[in-house]
Formats: sequence, structure tokens, C-alpha cells
Amino acid sequence: MLRVIGHRLLVSIPLLFIVTFAVFGLESLIPGNAAQTILGENATPAAVAQLNTQMGLNDPFFERYAHWVGHAVTGNFGSSVISGAPVWTSVVTRLGVTMSLLIPSLVLAAVAGVVLGMASAVRGGWLARLIDVVSLLGFALPSFWVGLILVSIFAVKLGVLPATGYTPLGTSPSEWIASITLPVVALSLYGITAIAKQTRDSASEVLDSDYIRFLRANGVPERSVLLKHVLRNSSIPVATSLGLISIGALGGTVFIENVFVLPGLGSLATQATLDHDIPVILGVALCFTLAVIAINLVIDLIYGLLNPKVRVS
Amino acid sequence: MGSTATRSVVRRTTAVLAASAISAVGLAACTNGGGAAGGSGGGGASDSLTMQFAGPPVSMDPAKAGNGGSAAFVSLAYDPLIYQTGEGKLVPDLATKWQYVGTGNKVFEFDLRHGVTFTDGAKLDAAAVVASMRYFLKAGGGLVGNVGSIDAVTAVDDDTVRITYKQPYPIAPESLTQFFGIGNIIGPKGLADPKSLLTSSDGTGQYVYDGAKSVSGNRYAYKRNPKYFAPSAQHFKNVSIRIIGDPNAVLSAARTGQVQFASGDPQTAAAAKKAGLTVQTAPFFNWSLMLADRKGTVLKPLADSRVRQAISLAFDRKTLASALGGRFASPSGQLVLPGIPGYVKGGGYDYDVAKAKKLLAAAGYPHGFKMTVLTQSLIDPNTKYSQAFANALNAIGIDVKLKVESTGIAQFAADSQSKKYPAVIFPTAGSTLYATSAQISSGLFNPFKSADTQVDHILATANAATGTKQEQLYEQANSRYADLAWVVPIMSTLNIHYLASDLKNVTSSTINPNPIPTGPTSELSWARK
Repeated sequence: MLRVIGHRLLVSIPLLFIVTFAVFGLESLIPGNAAQTILGENATPAAVAQLNTQMGLNDPFFERYAHWVGHAVTGNFGSSVISGAPVWTSVVTRLGVTMSLLIPSLVLAAVAGVVLGMASAVRGGWLARLIDVVSLLGFALPSFWVGLILVSIFAVKLGVLPATGYTPLGTSPSEWIASITLPVVALSLYGITAIAKQTRDSASEVLDSDYIRFLRANGVPERSVLLKHVLRNSSIPVATSLGLISIGALGGTVFIENVFVLPGLGSLATQATLDHDIPVILGVALCFTLAVIAINLVIDLIYGLLNPKVRVS
Repeated sequence: MGSTATRSVVRRTTAVLAASAISAVGLAACTNGGGAAGGSGGGGASDSLTMQFAGPPVSMDPAKAGNGGSAAFVSLAYDPLIYQTGEGKLVPDLATKWQYVGTGNKVFEFDLRHGVTFTDGAKLDAAAVVASMRYFLKAGGGLVGNVGSIDAVTAVDDDTVRITYKQPYPIAPESLTQFFGIGNIIGPKGLADPKSLLTSSDGTGQYVYDGAKSVSGNRYAYKRNPKYFAPSAQHFKNVSIRIIGDPNAVLSAARTGQVQFASGDPQTAAAAKKAGLTVQTAPFFNWSLMLADRKGTVLKPLADSRVRQAISLAFDRKTLASALGGRFASPSGQLVLPGIPGYVKGGGYDYDVAKAKKLLAAAGYPHGFKMTVLTQSLIDPNTKYSQAFANALNAIGIDVKLKVESTGIAQFAADSQSKKYPAVIFPTAGSTLYATSAQISSGLFNPFKSADTQVDHILATANAATGTKQEQLYEQANSRYADLAWVVPIMSTLNIHYLASDLKNVTSSTINPNPIPTGPTSELSWARK
């Protein structure tokens, strides 16, 4: 297993270069630049050109990228060209907010999705049909829209949860829970419905297999059949779904953070892109790539735990 | 299929999930005491103020900061030399007295308030003010083009500063207010290390920027300045500005008391009013079609003033304003809005399609022509205004193709100055005719560098004059601009703000549509009842 982890990590190094290079290239295709943002709409072309030169934005493309890489490998990710704040500090500060959304929403999606999917597969009938309908809604409704509806009910009408904003866990655990509850629910809805549907399909297939009939015929307790055999054997495709959903949810935080005005990586990426703040954009891209690598690694490890054949291979 | 054990497992797990959800909501309810503040920017206490702004500041360095409503980011920590009240009156702040020296509006002097210190402990004196103003002029910020052509800033004595302009500059007092940057004075320590101004502040203002408690692009925190010269004007211990761009999120934050002051939106204003918020408005943007290519470089017809006048006659301004902005827009046919010196009663263009067609025919374009117009979707969401303006021109045979820039205002400005587009849709905003004429004579409003000797002469005379004579000359300039039809004003929109019912001393007007929370006296500073 350690060899697998080591191999994965080695493979991810070129990926970091590829992603940051691609982001750097794409950013340079977007019209405008940071100098124009800083100087505003009344700036003369001469002033913009001068600031571009000062900031090194007129240097050749590869030279600029090499300059960034040269510093990044030593742990220096530069400073925001707009706010002057160190990129590393900004990213780390905001990573906590994004993780505060991402981890609980994935846990909620996994637990609620598996429970609903198992319940649907085992009981069938109206529960299965209800889950089908809710799944369709979960797929169809965009998370930001769900977020707006949740705000209007729980913040504006009932007044029990804050409409916007984030309180760090260290400041007040209870306020932290209050500040992330609605965003987490909005972000996890798609995951819950996707995992519920995946779990139901997989579990139904397993429940129909001969060895389950054999276990039941031999008097193995139902709880053991469901939890040890059905759930375990149907969870490999579910783990795959969870991996994909995690990566999708990472992108979903961009919208959710804007709706709930949370200072996470998503809103940082949005603002940095609007400002053409290249050091920040690259810092966020690097962080998102590392997160995706970590998620894939965790999913691989879960595969190994669930399926011994994977470990052997 | 469903055995008792299965149902038990399902029931138990469902109960756990339900309990978790209920306890989370319950915990949250206990936390907020049934109210709805919460979150990092939660207000609630009357000794704190949380306000909203749609976007982050361009910079926290006063010399590189933005203007308009974003002046609040800087003004909380940096007093201006002269304060412009919500009604537009100029009152003493760091400068207690000011006047032009001699005639011609080229030399301006002001005296400084005594007993004022910067947060770095240094005393406010003429040397410090001169250093700050000189730093502004060299810092490369976006507002440096709005403060007149300054030849020199010098200290006359310990508490008197003199500004010498290269050209007559009639709005020197206005340019030293909170909206122009040069008047927001930075302390010597901040000037010695300008990078420090991004994460802390060194001004004489009511509050001190607290970079450690701020999150760039999300929340900007300020704490009371213990050295402020007029403690009675400090009504809050803490002030925060939260960045919330989405109009629905703004409304939610205002309705639930998370912010006490927010920028409004025509789409959400009715709901805000229904929710008990005060909806305050003031005329602000003057949406206009700039006929930029006045020499016909890329579109020959625009070189003919009859064509430009025909275009000016093609807009049913009353209907457009009513349809596009409801009660938050008014028809506007002049460069400046009513109430601003230079506004000509009964001036501007009426709606007259027949006359417009005649003018086009006389100019040699009886069947109209094709025109590409540059616009943007940042402050004209979905280009609703632009499309309506373009449609209006169809009635006189001008086929408009809109080129929409959606990546940012800065890029829009660069596109405008590329000289590829003969016309541009964008609002002007100026509280004086001088400011508006300066605006339309440069940058994105005048990419082809047009000039008119007649209007320049009138303005030069007006800029050196004072009182009624100056107002009459501005009216003449305004009329000349109407004849030239370089800029076609169409409608003015209101700056909308939502105020919590307990927030007081917030005023705005045509001259100053952007209220800020601090002022040099108790009555001019916002407070909560």
C-alpha cells in the first residue's frame, strides 16, 4: 500500500506543473491585466503600459512562468498584486473555510446517501419511488439556488441561522456550526441524491445475488447480511461516485461561497480571476490540484480497504 | 424483503440523521438567540457598525484607492482635508480654512487643524500633509488624473499648505474631499513604508484598519482610533465592511441585521422596503451613448454633427427610463443632472424621430447606416439598458451591433481606448460640470482625442471665474456640448442604499450620492439610535 501511495505522489508532481502551466496559459488569454485593474477605468494606455513593465507583465510568457516556478519550488508563492498579501497566507486562511464546507458536506452526502440508498434498496415500494423523485430534484436543482431558498426560509423567515458570513471554529464552535449549516446542506444535496441512487442500484444488484440468498437461507442475521455483505460489496461503485462528487463539490464551493459570502478558496479564485491577480490564481489552482490529488489518493485507499483484490494488484 | 431488523437499522440511522439536523438548527437558534446576526460580520450591538460594499477596494493605500462608494474603505481610517457632507456641502475636517489666492483659480491655500495626530504618533503639520500629497501624485493610483494639473504642493508655514495648478482649477476644495484620494492624509511612518498601508493604516481618521482581523476580498475590520481629534464623533467601537456582490445575498444580510448599511438594487428595493429597511436614493449615474468617433475615423457618418444630433433625438427618454428603471430612473437629456451648476432648464434634446430622419437625410444618410457600439455587462447586467438604447436607434434607420465586454470594467476601458469602436455606452457621474467635462474629455470617453476650441474657451473662462458668472459660463458650455452632441445622455439612475431602521445621520444627494460613515462632527457621523 505504501508503494501505491508513493507511486501516486510521484505521478502527481508532473500533474502540478501541467495544471499550473495550463492555468497560467488560460489566464493570459483572458483580456485585460492587473495593471488595468489597479489603475481603473480612467487610466491612460501609457500609465497601464508603465505599470505592466514595473510588474514584469510584459516579460515573455515562458520567462514569467519559469520565474513563478522558480520561486514556488522554494515555497515562495509571491504576493497578491492587488492587496499585497502573501499568497500562501491567503490560501491557507481560506483553505480552512473551504474545508469547513467540503468535509462536512461530503460526510453528510456519504452518510445520508448510503442510508437512503440502502433503505430504498431494502424496502423498495414508496420509499424507492420517493428517493427516485428526490434524486431527480437533487440532480436538477443548482446548489446556489438551493442555497438561496434555504436562506430565505432559515435565515430570513425563521431567523434561526445566519444568512451570510463565516465564523472560524476557533472563535466559537457553535457559531461555526451555525455559519456552515446552510452552505453544507446546499452543497451536499447533489451528493446525497447521487450517492443514494448509486447505492440503491448497487445494493439491489447485490441483494439479488445467490450468495445473499445462501446467507439468508443459512440463518445469518439480517443486520449482518446488510451491513457486512450487501453494504460492503455495493460500496466500491459508491466510493467511485464519492470521489467524483468530491471533486465536483470542490468546484461547487465557488458558487456556494459567493451565495453565502464565505471567505473560502472559491471566492478568492473568482476575485483573483476578475482582477487578473496571477500569483493568487496560481496559488489557488495549486491548492485545488493538491486537493484533487489527495481525494483520489483517499479513494484509492478506500478501494484497497473495501476490496482486497485491489490491494494485491 | 424488509425484515424487522432491516427496518430497525433504517429507522435508527434515520433518527440519528434527523436528530443531528434538529440539534444543528437548535444549536444555531440558541447561538443567535432567535435573532439572525451570526457570521463573522454579525452586527447587533449598537456600538458596532457593519456595512456592505459590492466589491473589494482597489487598494487600502489611499493613494491607490478607488472613489465613489468605495471611498469608505479609506475614509474610515484617513480623514480628508475637507469633508463633503451628504447634502454636498463642504465643511472643515483636517483643513479648517481654505481659499484661492489671487484671481484665476490657480493657487489654492488651506490652514490645518491643530492638535491632530496620526496613529503612528506623529503630529499633523504642513510638512506631513505636503509629503502625503506628493506621495499621492507619484504613487500611480487611478485617481491622480482627477485632481487637476498640479504644479507644486508646498508648505507656506507650519500649518498652511499651498497648491499651485498649471491650469485654472475651480474645484480644488472638492478635490480635497474624501472622494479624490489626495485629500486623505497619510502619516510619515506609512509613507516611509507604503506596503504597510495594505495591511494596516496610518491616518488621523476615526478608526484604524485592522488587517489581522480582516480577510481580503471578504471583510475589512476597523477599530476605534484612541487618538482621534473629536471623540464625540466616534459612535462605534468597531466598524466592518463586508464584501457581498450578489443582490439577493445583500438583501438577506440587510434583512437579517447582519449589515446595517448596504448598496441596493432596483430588483430588490421593493422587498427591502417591505422588510422594514429604509430605502435611500440619490441620482448618480447618467447613462449615455458616447459618440466617440467625432472625426469619422472608423465610422464616417459620426463626423457630421447633424448625424450626432439625429441620434440625440432618437431616444424616448421618458419611456426608456420608466421601462428600464421604474421609480429608480429618470429621463436625462443633459450632461449634468438637475441641481448641479451648469444644468440648463429646458435644455437638451426632445424625442423627435421625424426631425432625426430629416437630419440624417440632410447629412446624406436617408437610409441610416450600421454602427458597432461597445458596452459592458458589469454595471449593465444582461446589457438590458444597452439593448434598449440600441433598439431605439433602429427607428431612425441606424442598425446597431453591440460588442459586449464582460470580463471587467478595466478591460472595457482598454477596449474603448483601442479606437476600434465609434461609440460606447457607459454612464457619466459628476457633481460639477467641470468634473463631467473632464471625464468626457479623457480616457474611455474620448479615445479619439476630440477637442472643440469653443467649448475649451468657455470652460477655461468658467474655470477661472467665480460665483454667478461661473455658473452662467457652465450653462453655456453645457449648451455647446448639446450642440456638438458628442455625448448623448439618455437616463439617470439612482444610487440605492438600504439602511437599518436604527441607523441615523445617513444622507445623500445629487451632489454626493455616496454617503460614508465618518464625518468631523457627531452629527455628520453615522450612529445607531
